[in-house]
Amino acid sequence: MSFDWQKILESKRALRRDLAARPIGEKLRLLDALRERELAIRGRAVHPRSSVLREEPPPYRTKTK
Amino acid sequence: MDVKKVITVINQMQADGVIERYAVGGAVGATFYLEPIATLDVDIFVTFESAPGSLIASPQRIYDYLTARGGTIEREYIVIAGWPVQFLPPTGLLVAEALQESVVKDVDGTPACVLTAEHLAALALQTGRAKDKARLLQFVESGVLDAVRFQAILARHGLLEAWQKFERQFLHDPP
Repeated sequence: MSFDWQKILESKRALRRDLAARPIGEKLRLLDALRERELAIRGRAVHPRSSVLREEPPPYRTKTK
Repeated sequence: MDVKKVITVINQMQADGVIERYAVGGAVGATFYLEPIATLDVDIFVTFESAPGSLIASPQRIYDYLTARGGTIEREYIVIAGWPVQFLPPTGLLVAEALQESVVKDVDGTPACVLTAEHLAALALQTGRAKDKARLLQFVESGVLDAVRFQAILARHGLLEAWQKFERQFLHDPP
């Protein structure tokens, strides 16, 4: 373990590269697990929606140039 | 919860003639090129024929097909294998081109049609929410984009100015 910021950043980049290079089947299984975890976390959230700042315009534009 | 099962079901729906062409987009599509990106839904870009006698393409056949096979409708989604799936028709020229030029990837023996990395990045730039910009940055940093191909897409769809702005914001060191 290191507290050198450059080493920490490089370690994070290496982890991302490692995850990206995994077989797609494995990455899709990780997506399943991530979604389950996110749903569990959202289920425990107690803040009222009105106090949450959200950015949700339509996901894909219909306008073309 | 099984996103691979979602792809299998959509392949079968295509084989049964309900849809013509499809491609996985959004965060699930990006995961084919990057590290897994947490998401709550699956975006499927799709083309389908209009119903006989109608000029308007309707997703009704998709809904009928999937609900007959256990899918459930929740708002604009249909839930397949535990995943909310949104079917998106090509609403603009960029999406239409992205769908046309999608590629087939192998998922443990199952074919999956996926948007190219360059089109996913261009769509992220065009959509332009904070999370889209973050994803675009991931594409750039990962080095998976073919720069020539990406620039050509941006030029064809009037996105060069938006790209230059993105570059100034996120890719150039501050003075």
